[in-house]
Amino acid sequence: MRDASHAGRRAAVARALVHVTLAGASLATVFPLVWMLAAAFTPNDLILARPFRLWPESPTLANFAAAADAYPIWRWLWNSIVAAAAVTAGKLALSLPAAYAFARGRHRWRDAAFGFVIVTMAFPTVMVIVPTYLVVVRLGALDSLPALIVPSIPYIGFYVFFFRQAMKALPSEMFEAASIDGAGFLRQFVDIALPNVAHVVPALAAFAFLGAWNIFLWGQLTLGSVETKTLTVGVALFSDIEGAQSLWGPLMAVNCLAILPVLVAFLLARRSIERAFASR
Amino acid sequence: MDAADRRALSTAGLVAPAVLAVAAFLYLPIAASGLLAVLDYHPATQTFRFAGLANIAAVLGGDAFGRAAWNTLVYCLVLVPAQVLVPLALALGLREIAGSRTAPVYYACLFAPTLVSFSVAGAVWLPLLNPINGVLNEMLTALGLPPSRWHTDARAALWVVSLVAFWKTFGLNLVLWYAALMTIPKEQIEAARIDGAGFFRRVRDIDIPLASPTAFFILVTTVFTTLDDIVGIIDVLTGGGPFERTTNLPYLLWQRGLVFFQFGQASVIALVTIAIVAILTWVQFRFVERRVTYA
Repeated sequence: MRDASHAGRRAAVARALVHVTLAGASLATVFPLVWMLAAAFTPNDLILARPFRLWPESPTLANFAAAADAYPIWRWLWNSIVAAAAVTAGKLALSLPAAYAFARGRHRWRDAAFGFVIVTMAFPTVMVIVPTYLVVVRLGALDSLPALIVPSIPYIGFYVFFFRQAMKALPSEMFEAASIDGAGFLRQFVDIALPNVAHVVPALAAFAFLGAWNIFLWGQLTLGSVETKTLTVGVALFSDIEGAQSLWGPLMAVNCLAILPVLVAFLLARRSIERAFASR
Repeated sequence: MDAADRRALSTAGLVAPAVLAVAAFLYLPIAASGLLAVLDYHPATQTFRFAGLANIAAVLGGDAFGRAAWNTLVYCLVLVPAQVLVPLALALGLREIAGSRTAPVYYACLFAPTLVSFSVAGAVWLPLLNPINGVLNEMLTALGLPPSRWHTDARAALWVVSLVAFWKTFGLNLVLWYAALMTIPKEQIEAARIDGAGFFRRVRDIDIPLASPTAFFILVTTVFTTLDDIVGIIDVLTGGGPFERTTNLPYLLWQRGLVFFQFGQASVIALVTIAIVAILTWVQFRFVERRVTYA
């Protein structure tokens, strides 16, 4: 009996230690984001006078107005949304049919083609940037959103891999039954495969959206003029004016704008993400 | 045409857009990089001329390349173990208290910075790190410690960039570790506990082997992100400085190619990076994947 209560006390102490560690790590991790939120709604001169605060002081939207005066941040927000949505749609449109064919199709070159697509997961973006940039320049497409969007779509290795796994996991009896009912190979894609992986599509769409939203290097190159920039790229302009002016408030306001839509996308896809990664 | 032929044709048709996109936008540029590496670009006339090994000599002979390569190595040695092991420790902690009311709060807090883009992550930290009136120095002063110059200090800068990169990326690995750990049957862990296996024994003998496919995925992808993605943080936080102490190979590539229009030199750096990634990936598949047990 004494042994059991001793072990119980040890377990309780261990749990308490785990709680303290996780709480400490959580606080340290969210602190910069809490600070960002507080600063975004606090007048800039107050931030400069006393930087540390966890809550907005004399709350104001002046930082958003000041940021919008300096740069077309609402335009950037719109550009970001268009670009991220287009890249996400493009990735899904390429990878879903390919994944189905790789999972259920028959072709001599099927597995070789699968390897060809999958290996690109290991390609760092920097290695394709220079030649692609030269082609974009030649086409006169520089400084346009399509220049950002189109070359960002073909990074589909992970998506093809993931959707193929999901479709392979579906019982083949479903497809055979549809086949007996007269549904051909393409019909089965639309009627059987797509509806049955639909629950994990939002999860991958959210990750595609996050990835596209965060494109920085390629955006720096292709979106030269102020009007065409995305938020992720435009933020760099704000950090350039640090020093004498120290526009922390407006910079944090732009950062809030840059984080909000991604947060919304992940909240919307939360259930799907849990299912996508738990049901391995 | 019989059913089998039709199916082969449909398969090819569904796969073709993906294969062609990958070929045109990912494979072709790599091949072109090989060509560009031996050409010299003249911005005034927009023409290329054969340059032989001049670009390679210019890149490999310069000091900047050595520094960037060294920094890239240091980033990998610092960030890869941190990005793999710290999230594992946090995921193990989260599993211990799974079901408690605060667990989802910890989980959300720890994952939150993952949603921030690399450049925004740099911008969020700028005012915190500011050497003159930044929050971190204010905290140090309050504790009676001397202030630091953080990312503007030549000795500290690389560590500061690493810290911000870690902050921005560890949440994804945490989610992956946690998902893998939660699929391990409780009975198996309980049985080991009754057999007298301590915490670390159980992690080593049960958790790691059973989560090894995820562990391998985490290792491979973390190497890629470390090489590739921290450029945004470098650009916003330090611009590669001070004294090129924080520049890495992708950032050097970017500067050479797109700030100074030395496309040939940039391509040489791209090829070196490709070679490093290829070797690292090969090593991981050759030596690490053998220890992975797929279910």
